[in-house]
Amino acid sequence: MSSPLRHDVQGGGTAPDSRTEELALEAADQKRSDERERRLARRRRFIEQVQGEGLILVLIVVFVLMWISSPFFFTQQNLLTAASVISVLGVMAVAETLLVISGEIDISIGSVMASTSVLMGVMVGQGLNVWLTAVIGLLFAAGVGVVNGIITVYFKINSLVTTLGTYSIFLGVAYAISNTATVSIGGSGFQVLGSGKVGSIPVPVFFFLGLWLIGLLVARFTALGRHIYATGDSYDAAVRSGIQANMLRMGLFIATALSAGLAGVITTSELGSAAPQIGDPYLLSVVTAVILGGASLRGGRGTMLGTLVAVAILGVLQNGFALLQFSTYLEDTVLGSLLIIAVLTDRLVRRAER
Amino acid sequence: MSDPAHNEPPEAAQATSAQVTPAQATPAPAADATPLLEARGVTRSYGNVAALAGVDLQVRPGEVVGLVGDNGAGKSTLLKILCGAVQPSAGQLLVNGEPVTFRSPKDSRERGIEVVYQDLALATELSVAENIFLGRERRRPGPFRLLDRPRMAREAEAALESLAIEIHSVRARCGLLSGGQRQAVAVARAVLWGSNVLLLDEPTAALAVMESEKIGQLVAQVAKRQVGVVLVSHNMPQVHALCDRIVVLLRGRVVADLRRDETDVQDIVMWITGAALSRN
Repeated sequence: MSSPLRHDVQGGGTAPDSRTEELALEAADQKRSDERERRLARRRRFIEQVQGEGLILVLIVVFVLMWISSPFFFTQQNLLTAASVISVLGVMAVAETLLVISGEIDISIGSVMASTSVLMGVMVGQGLNVWLTAVIGLLFAAGVGVVNGIITVYFKINSLVTTLGTYSIFLGVAYAISNTATVSIGGSGFQVLGSGKVGSIPVPVFFFLGLWLIGLLVARFTALGRHIYATGDSYDAAVRSGIQANMLRMGLFIATALSAGLAGVITTSELGSAAPQIGDPYLLSVVTAVILGGASLRGGRGTMLGTLVAVAILGVLQNGFALLQFSTYLEDTVLGSLLIIAVLTDRLVRRAER
Repeated sequence: MSDPAHNEPPEAAQATSAQVTPAQATPAPAADATPLLEARGVTRSYGNVAALAGVDLQVRPGEVVGLVGDNGAGKSTLLKILCGAVQPSAGQLLVNGEPVTFRSPKDSRERGIEVVYQDLALATELSVAENIFLGRERRRPGPFRLLDRPRMAREAEAALESLAIEIHSVRARCGLLSGGQRQAVAVARAVLWGSNVLLLDEPTAALAVMESEKIGQLVAQVAKRQVGVVLVSHNMPQVHALCDRIVVLLRGRVVADLRRDETDVQDIVMWITGAALSRN
């Protein structure tokens, strides 16, 4: 309320009425902005409930529907199988969630999975130990992550375009090298990764939950996690705060590709064979799970809990469709619809906050 | 508007305005003190174009220096050089009389120089406390170095309180704050870490009148702590009211270094446009 900005108003004696009026106007202004703030906070809480409790509610509804529809659904055997199947998706969804929060996306994971598997098949055919081929496969996957990262981060190409390109490249490579043939892989106890069990719980579930816990720890309780959110939220703010945003995104591209490689290794182990088709179901489903879980394509938003619930929803749907003997094409349609709904929700959230 | 509580009598308004005029609040900084931050003959060329040509600037403890000039006069280039975002082609920077080279804003931050950017550089999804500590998080001891949220919340609250900034919770998301509150958070962050010099780039450009006056009070308060302040602004009445000295840039050169009590708004504007040059 100092005068400097009001040099046009000369002293109280000459214009007391206009001064009083202005103060009243300012007070009203302040009140309006306070009200707006409260309104935004209310909306924000509502949206968080929709994306949090709402998502869990969807999971419960889907779960109960399947339970009612099929007598085979709610059996220990079936649920454990479903958990094992969905764990491969989950393994990739953890790193992808962090990548999306940082403001980037990787849709090449399905083909990285496939080419890792095919590469293993070729090397096993050359007589290499299967465990060694798995390690080389993971290194290859990390290499793809480096390529994705360099093109996106240092040449500033939209990651959707970059990884669409690498998706096509490595899928092509996978089919070309394998000649679409399936190569049998096994021995040295390798099948434990995909088909092994601890107690009655399949090993892939441990990979998923282990990675998920690490993801949760990073996202919620470390400085690295704050830096990932800040980078996706406001790249400039992050960089000006001394965060190595480019290195961080680079690292997340590598982590995501590496998790796709791991998913490839697990699936290869489970099937006992290397095949270029194994990545096909994951082109859409991983990204759908991440976006459905509340991670925003514009970065800065997303939670590990959301991704966990979304992965579970997709798992129940997939399993239920199989039990009810629905067409797999219908599954694709549902998946696509879920992706659109998830993106629309995100869009509406953003709009509501303005 | 009909709320009688907000209809203060004009006398009260006058009293408030006298209190916050920083001229009375801050003792004039000693002219002979070693500058906290000094630029000597700083030059920056882009190709054949010299954005800055031999600029000298000093900021002393407790001094508020206004940096004004028309668009393209070199204000933002100078600011970027002072914080290390841009490197000078020639010339020297000194901190406390000691020659320094800033390769990045990280280097200048280590010397206690902080910037409040025009766009504030806040992450809207993060809380007030998280923003204040972004890139400098407090962590617990132990193998995982996990975030120490309670400590950051405490320190953020203390920082805001010491500047009399009212924000209901440091856990509130920055995206939910008003423009003025965000600005205040950005300033508080800079003040918390900027032990030496605070660089403010157009701090009130996007603010309501009431909020921009609050920022003016903050600047005066910061200066009282013997921090040097450089204020880049287009708001001439504000510059004149807040700054002890006003440095005018014209086409990459310092054309005037005016003391507040020896100049007025009109005079500053004449220097900015170059009209004062032809006058003499």
